[in-house]
Amino acid sequence: MSEASGDSLVVDGVSTAYDRADVLDNVSLTAAAGAITCLLGSNGSGKTTLIRSILGLTPPNKGHIRFAGVDLTGLPTHRVVAAGVACIPEGRRVFPKFTVEENLRMGAYQESSGSVIAERLERVYRIFPRLAERRQQLAGTMSGGEQAMISIGRGLMQAPKLLLIDEPSLGLAPILVQENFKLIRRINEEGITVFLVEQNVHQTLAISDYGYVLAKGRVVAQGTPEALGKTKEVHEAYFG
Amino acid sequence: MDLGLLAQYVMNGLMLGMMYALVAVGFTLFFGVLDIIKFSHGDVLTVGAFTALATFIALSALGIESSVVQLLVMLLAAIGAMAFLGAVIARAFVLPLRSAPPLNTLLITLMIGTVLREMVRLFYPDGANPKPFPRLLPADSVNLGGFNLRLDNVILLVAGALVIVCLQLVLNKTKLGLAIRAVAQDEETTKIMGVNFNRIVLVTFAIGSGLAAFAGVMNGLYYNEINFGIGLYLGVVGFSAAIIGGLGNIYGAILGGFLFAALQTIGAVSLPFASAYKDVFAFAVVIAIMAWRPTGLIPEKTSERV
Repeated sequence: MSEASGDSLVVDGVSTAYDRADVLDNVSLTAAAGAITCLLGSNGSGKTTLIRSILGLTPPNKGHIRFAGVDLTGLPTHRVVAAGVACIPEGRRVFPKFTVEENLRMGAYQESSGSVIAERLERVYRIFPRLAERRQQLAGTMSGGEQAMISIGRGLMQAPKLLLIDEPSLGLAPILVQENFKLIRRINEEGITVFLVEQNVHQTLAISDYGYVLAKGRVVAQGTPEALGKTKEVHEAYFG
Repeated sequence: MDLGLLAQYVMNGLMLGMMYALVAVGFTLFFGVLDIIKFSHGDVLTVGAFTALATFIALSALGIESSVVQLLVMLLAAIGAMAFLGAVIARAFVLPLRSAPPLNTLLITLMIGTVLREMVRLFYPDGANPKPFPRLLPADSVNLGGFNLRLDNVILLVAGALVIVCLQLVLNKTKLGLAIRAVAQDEETTKIMGVNFNRIVLVTFAIGSGLAAFAGVMNGLYYNEINFGIGLYLGVVGFSAAIIGGLGNIYGAILGGFLFAALQTIGAVSLPFASAYKDVFAFAVVIAIMAWRPTGLIPEKTSERV
């Protein structure tokens, strides 16, 4: 995968340090175009820091991040988004004082055409009829599962080429977790490259095409889901 | 007290309330996007009022005598220049200090305010003394039985109300407003949505400072006099109004502005020695309100910071 091109995400020798425990130490990985690539690791392994580095929220000290031929390293976040990168952040992070529809419209912030935004809204409402029923409800008053729908819908409103998903199953009821994984599969089948950060090993590997394991800021294992499922690094990363 | 005098007090209170509200809205907007208090806000108002006055003198020297044209150009110059100044202050001093403790931002804006104020005092010709501000609005009045309703006051009030309504529309109906309100809730997520955060900050500071310039011109037209200290006073009052309303909440700031003016008016009407103690009374009540509702009458931020 050295000469990954097209719309792949390439993280090349990235080191990020800041005043938190999470740091990255020379991380290299590729999220191949059109695939679901997962990043497994326990709390504090640096998963979220990597997402933040890709998004330009915590720029790396060393290394490069490229996507679809654009060097994202050091770009401000809105330029990263303009390159086609969207993120469903950890903890969903809906805007509590916005209505469902305002939240969704925030996702399409960089789209200026009203008709395109309307089309995307309709599409999200088709996927989540529950949200369509509650367009005018304040997001802060909704349940965790509904907020997850808003957060995912908001990501889809960006019509991204690459979707970064940070711990989607955190804090959700098991049945919703399953729904979530099905949905990620479906999003990917529509041609969106997915980079999925998770702690939920088995279900994550079940839908991924390729995976990496992060421990203490380093990539300690990588491979196909079948291979990764059997490695001791995966078990050590969580239970070691 | 007779009704005519009471009506006079109410009119004066409304006028003050409008000015306070316009200043308070600025404080609350800045706090919304950056969680900071910008203490130079009042002095930006002063510079705005003096910019309008200088524009008037320049227009008169050019032989432009139509008061409508004069007033429009003065407003445009003052609002435009202060919007620019506000954005420059944000770009050069506030944004670079984001990683520093908030106290540093407070201190630096306090110093910027002093520099602006002293610049007006020292460099504006005879700036240490009060300057007459031209009467540019029609001076007609309608007698309503013991109370003279002045047309210029009505125009000022309507104009102020229109400005607040426009701001309201911008915040609630435009994409820019959506972004400003989003930043106030969650800065990082707003960035992830593709919003250019720095630009939103600069535009917000420009809007807030433009409002201060408008309030400064309003102040000049109402009292027909300005001095280098008006912004210092209006800044303290506007800040208090924003705090009692609930910092970060636009409606709270407007409510706070009118409430402060109401307190002053009540103080002036009901206390002996009339207006001498009106500020003491108003600030004392503000302190009491703050002790009773530490996060303001319409608390904004507390509910999010669980």
